[in-house]
Amino acid sequence: MKSLDPRVNRLPLTGNTSPKVLLDQFGTFEVFVQAKAGKPFQHEGVVHAPNLEMSYLLAKETFTRRFTCVSIYVVDTRNVHVSVLTEDEDNAYNHVTEVASSGNKVSFEIFHLFKRGKQHQHAGTVEASNPNEALWLASKQLKTEKQVFNIWAIHTDDIRFTHQDDLDLWHTLPDKKFRDAAAYKGGDKLKSFLEELKK
Amino acid sequence: MNHEAIKELLYKMADDQLILGHRNSEWTGFGPLLEEDIAFSSMAQDKIGHSLALYTILHELGEQDPDTIAFTRNADQFHNTVFTELPNAEYDFSLIRHFLYDTSEALRFEILSQSSFEPLAQLAIKVRGELRYHTMHANTWIKQLGSATEESISKLQKSLEYALPYALGLFEPSLYESKLINEKVFEGEKALEEKWKKKVEEVIAQTQLQLPNWKTLTPHYGGRIGKHSEHLQPLLDEMSEVLRIDPTAEW
Repeated sequence: MKSLDPRVNRLPLTGNTSPKVLLDQFGTFEVFVQAKAGKPFQHEGVVHAPNLEMSYLLAKETFTRRFTCVSIYVVDTRNVHVSVLTEDEDNAYNHVTEVASSGNKVSFEIFHLFKRGKQHQHAGTVEASNPNEALWLASKQLKTEKQVFNIWAIHTDDIRFTHQDDLDLWHTLPDKKFRDAAAYKGGDKLKSFLEELKK
Repeated sequence: MNHEAIKELLYKMADDQLILGHRNSEWTGFGPLLEEDIAFSSMAQDKIGHSLALYTILHELGEQDPDTIAFTRNADQFHNTVFTELPNAEYDFSLIRHFLYDTSEALRFEILSQSSFEPLAQLAIKVRGELRYHTMHANTWIKQLGSATEESISKLQKSLEYALPYALGLFEPSLYESKLINEKVFEGEKALEEKWKKKVEEVIAQTQLQLPNWKTLTPHYGGRIGKHSEHLQPLLDEMSEVLRIDPTAEW
């Protein structure tokens, strides 16, 4: 099939098909964004990338090219430890059970989901020897009145944080309002065009 | 302060940014990954933004308004390097050009952040974070593909060898080198070229790519004095198409 875009040259269909190689694609990485200094990081979505460093690079423009923010971090999806997902009045912490410590303690970042369909928010850090113990300690240290539907625990060392030197990556974002659809003032343009037609 | 010398510096910087920004924007919708398409397009947009900032300084020095400067000159009135106007081929070439060009751009602005010409010094400080991302993006991709597979390494190597003489054209000395240096506006093309070579060597050393001996390369000069390849005029025609059809158009 020929494309309407002259720059697109498609290969002809040969009629021969073969099954796609399983998992012949990049893995996913979870992206967290901090909207303002002092505010908790919030999960925004995923990017596909060949490794953690590339995922940081791609996440920066995919998730922070438009709305102002001050920092991001990324983690391989496989390194996110997830609690059960609950509904209605059932708090995810009701399902967290006591786990004994088993060796060296490391830092885990804990994230809470306060509303189904919304994003996880960073709640705090616990020192635990494994992800399940991290959830247990979070239930003691970070659980609040607020209903939590899902909890994530991520080993801090698995996260690619923004380096201190790189915090100016987002300095010019407030000047880039033109990236917002609203900046095109499409409605105004249409209105003046229609008025022009009436004349 | 010598305005002719400063204008020459501003024009070549602004034209490089505008032309490469346009070239890189041609990848929008065609990038190798959705996420990379977005990143490369954003950086192309940044470059157009830098050209606008530089044309605005020129306007304050008495030149015409930025849109007139950008859209109504002919090819021989542009001061960009031939390097920036070369057509995109495959992504490996665009990545190598992005790496070689943005390394020079970031270093040029870093030098200019100390400039005695205040408007340029302020702009250099303002865009520092953007350029930090641009070079981080370029370096990470070059390190990734420059050590990945036989195919990616050989493609980048070929593009690197093709691009280097053109890239050296970025440092074509102007008639005003000593004026700019003496008035502490800019350290000069020679000093920038030395810093650039060092940085390029540093990144390439972390890959399986090979840099040729600098002495064997002949820089492709001419762009700074309006001597361009056949590729610039068609780019300008496309870029100014809307303005030529409807000079009052807003977009």
